[in-house]
Amino acid sequence: MEGSGVEEPTAWKFPSPGRLRIYPINANSRRMKGLERYRNIVPDFEGMMDAIVLPLPVTARINTLKTDRDRLLLRLRKAEVSHRPFTWYPFGLRLEVEKPGNLIENLMGLIHVQEEISMASPVVLDPKPGERVLDLCAAPGSKTTQMAMMMENRGLLAANDPANTRVASLRSNCERAGALNVVVTRYDGRRFPAREFDRVLVDAPCTGQGMARKDIKVLDRWSLRRSLGLQRLQRALLKRAADLVKPGGTLVYSTCTFAPEENEAVVSWVLDQVPGIVLDDAWIGGLEGSPGLEEWEGSKFGEEMQRCVRYYPHQNDAGGFFVAKLIKE
Amino acid sequence: MSQSSLKNKSPFQPLDRAVVAGMMQSRFGIPLEAFESVSFYRRGRNVWAFSLPEIPDFSCESVGLRFMSVRGRVPKPTTSALQLFGRYATKNVVDLSSDQAEKFVAGVRQSISIPVEDGYVVVTLGGEVIGCGQYLDGELISQLPKERWIGIDGACDGSSGGGRR
Repeated sequence: MEGSGVEEPTAWKFPSPGRLRIYPINANSRRMKGLERYRNIVPDFEGMMDAIVLPLPVTARINTLKTDRDRLLLRLRKAEVSHRPFTWYPFGLRLEVEKPGNLIENLMGLIHVQEEISMASPVVLDPKPGERVLDLCAAPGSKTTQMAMMMENRGLLAANDPANTRVASLRSNCERAGALNVVVTRYDGRRFPAREFDRVLVDAPCTGQGMARKDIKVLDRWSLRRSLGLQRLQRALLKRAADLVKPGGTLVYSTCTFAPEENEAVVSWVLDQVPGIVLDDAWIGGLEGSPGLEEWEGSKFGEEMQRCVRYYPHQNDAGGFFVAKLIKE
Repeated sequence: MSQSSLKNKSPFQPLDRAVVAGMMQSRFGIPLEAFESVSFYRRGRNVWAFSLPEIPDFSCESVGLRFMSVRGRVPKPTTSALQLFGRYATKNVVDLSSDQAEKFVAGVRQSISIPVEDGYVVVTLGGEVIGCGQYLDGELISQLPKERWIGIDGACDGSSGGGRR
């Protein structure tokens, strides 16, 4: 898709006056830049533009390393903390509080404040107790601690992140969660040492457009050049992960951006480059998503990309996300 | 430096499980079986708890959970360790009322009359562990890491920021 006719920021048009009333944020800034290019691929694009200016619901995950679901729900009821469990994932909760970080249940490590859609990729990876699992881009550790809990604190979970600053938050989140099976490493993920893993998660660095509800400024920072720059890194990370996973093992690639350059284009490149890697279904029952793109701006990724899932902010009243599941034969 | 110390690059030295588990048993009455699938290592003045009997053969920043500090005269369990294993404790447990817990999580020292030995205690609220406290001369002193304190006003309801005493 490089060099294809993607709209440059200068070609961006201000919305018509009628639109200004409906989307006041458009009138004040060019923050919606980089989203217009998805008008034809997002179902109910206008619905997404409405949703993207709203703050994210407060959500958390029940930490079954320290409590169980019934006990925690009872505890919240007694403490009169309004909450609603997710329909698609029994350990996810929507909380009606402004500062979930001030809940004593958070201090006790019984819950971990985590964005709803980010719980999807560990669910797809499905790590099991006793396995050897690698989280290649782990900080700040929400997905790591979710996986530690899925593994019931057994086996090995290597949580890698090269950045010194982010490793501090990764370590403190693992401590708070009570993770006994996590080792924190600081390799450049592209050169993680050659070891075999049953499952690898690549939650890659990305342009983060799906996080706009948390910080609308991410949209300002987007450019095609940034997407393509990150694509090189993402390809190398996913390729390394494909080398590290053992035959029969599972690989999950996820990002929190909408840019196909960082999603389908990366997955399809690795499918071409690494023999014996095939796509599997990344769909999760009860969570509304859209199939991965078969093509984008003249690049053909193939029909199999429908096994990948795109999540848009208006679909589950959550963040935006992309998940692909790959199997090594 | 000898040949063997050059080979053994891991800063984590294995510890006898029975010794560490024994400390937890004698202080808190936690049965040894609670630590059956846990391995202990020492690095510097800390004991770490890990899921596997061997440290992976790649360079690790941390391995498992910081379990206790052996800096002082008496080993001090971490709040994280007690949040995991404190539920099995049968002695030196202090169950707080909501009001007392509010002070405890704000890092406020309080007078409480309870039948426990002086020293480190498992502090609970409604049967679930808040963390590590120290009981000394009739006073309970919070040993929660400062960065995890919740200010009095903000505790439990999330209605306001952490006004701290």
